[in-house]
Amino acid sequence: MSDYLSASGLEVSFGGLRALQDCSFTVERGRITCLVGPNGAGKTTIFNVITGFLRPDAGTVSFQGKPLDGMKPQAIVAAGIARTFQNLRLFVDLTALDNVVVALPAQSGEEPFSAIFRPWHVARAQTRLRDEAMQILDHVGLAARAGDFVRNLSYGEQKLLTVARGLATGAELLLLDEPASGLSASALDQIMALLRRLQSEGKTLLVVEHNTRVVQQIADEVLFLHQGHLMARGTPGEIIGDPALAEIYFGGVI
Amino acid sequence: MDFWLSYVTLAAIYVLLGLSTNLLVGIAGIFSVSQAAVFGVGAYIVAYLLMNEIVSFLPAMLVASAFCVLLNVLVTLPALRVSGDYFVVTSFGIQLLATAVFTNWTAGTGGANGLPGIPPADLFGKTLDDSSQLVALCVTAMVLGCLAFWLIMHAPFGRLLRAIREDELAVAAAGKNVLRAKVSAAAMAGAFAGSAGGLYATFLSFIDPSSFDLDASILLLTMVVVGGARTLAGSIVGPFLLLALPQVLSLIDIPTTIAAAARQLIYGVLLIAFMLFRPQGLAGEKL
Repeated sequence: MSDYLSASGLEVSFGGLRALQDCSFTVERGRITCLVGPNGAGKTTIFNVITGFLRPDAGTVSFQGKPLDGMKPQAIVAAGIARTFQNLRLFVDLTALDNVVVALPAQSGEEPFSAIFRPWHVARAQTRLRDEAMQILDHVGLAARAGDFVRNLSYGEQKLLTVARGLATGAELLLLDEPASGLSASALDQIMALLRRLQSEGKTLLVVEHNTRVVQQIADEVLFLHQGHLMARGTPGEIIGDPALAEIYFGGVI
Repeated sequence: MDFWLSYVTLAAIYVLLGLSTNLLVGIAGIFSVSQAAVFGVGAYIVAYLLMNEIVSFLPAMLVASAFCVLLNVLVTLPALRVSGDYFVVTSFGIQLLATAVFTNWTAGTGGANGLPGIPPADLFGKTLDDSSQLVALCVTAMVLGCLAFWLIMHAPFGRLLRAIREDELAVAAAGKNVLRAKVSAAAMAGAFAGSAGGLYATFLSFIDPSSFDLDASILLLTMVVVGGARTLAGSIVGPFLLLALPQVLSLIDIPTTIAAAARQLIYGVLLIAFMLFRPQGLAGEKL
């Protein structure tokens, strides 16, 4: 098994609540791994730990063999891991295009000095940035909405935009928090097709997902999380077909 | 001095302050009520350097700006740790502290009596003691300030600041250094306020703590609110409009003691009315 992304012995407590308990798992390069489990199983907490938003009480995460311990979110993005949020967190007063442009790495004119003293250089760079962002929007199917403000986009379009923003960072590992929840059937098909396409282009995806139909269709591997601990891993068929896991997932209590 | 020239000169200086406040409060979302303190420090530094003939005007302005950059970064540092509401209280304390220093450090600031007899500005060995020369200097400074503001807002830096104001966490998740962007915004705001202070001291040739107290800070906020947050036009409209108010009041035949109180009253009413009925100001976006 490769050690593309590996977490071992993660412990996170919020007061008396143990959100992660001796949580260990690996994600393999180039695959779509789905993280499933009942509400409160610790899925989003895992995302927060991997992306540096939350420091675990114990345990370590390493990416391509290098530990990420203590790194700030921006350093982790630079290392090649980007995330989306369950509640989207788009910049609603910016256009769709600007939401993507913001996330492009290493821009000239991103600090005031070059913005003021090298205006022409910055203007030329801005044109390139916009082209690049436009290609990303086109890639996720939002080219026609580039100039629209986020608040005017449909929910499905906003979800696609969060993926576009993640892509803009240049990250090769994308952590997607419920990209398919709350979507209509057609929007669902669109986002599943997008995830498949990203995989074929070499991206690795770790996806939190509740919809078993989506999991069955996109996942190469499923990690089943329960009470902050990795309870099982396997193919979608193995996990979804397991009556004991289904019991936990659909309202069972152990 | 000619009434119109004096009005335009003062308004040009306040536009620089409006830009400073807008950058910090409107764009970066750092709600500071102590910008007048930074303005004051700039004014006192230039006054001190010129009165003691240590350096000439331009280097004095440079020293004042540089010092105010550092000062503003320092006073906004708490805003980079605690967010929003808590910082208003911190900033309030900073303003009171500054007023106390301006009023009581008699050796440096002349205390409550202020510093009279500040020499006029000079450029390349030539003293600018004519009011038309002064207005040209201040308007040039204002135009340069506006240009810098416009360039910033149309560069990736402006976009980054807007994004930060909306959702810091999402900006961090996009791989950006939120702290550095905020420090940069505070530094720019400091440079604007510091140079405005220097121009103010040389223009009036007299400064005292009353120009740099809490009322002055609130006046700056009122200018941004009335003019409009986050836009260049708003930063220009606000100061020109609010500084015209005392002149308009002076046309009405009321005793000067009442006029001063009426002015404060109108500022207060304007602030509340705009926040309630037109939060985007005359030419801005919603604060």
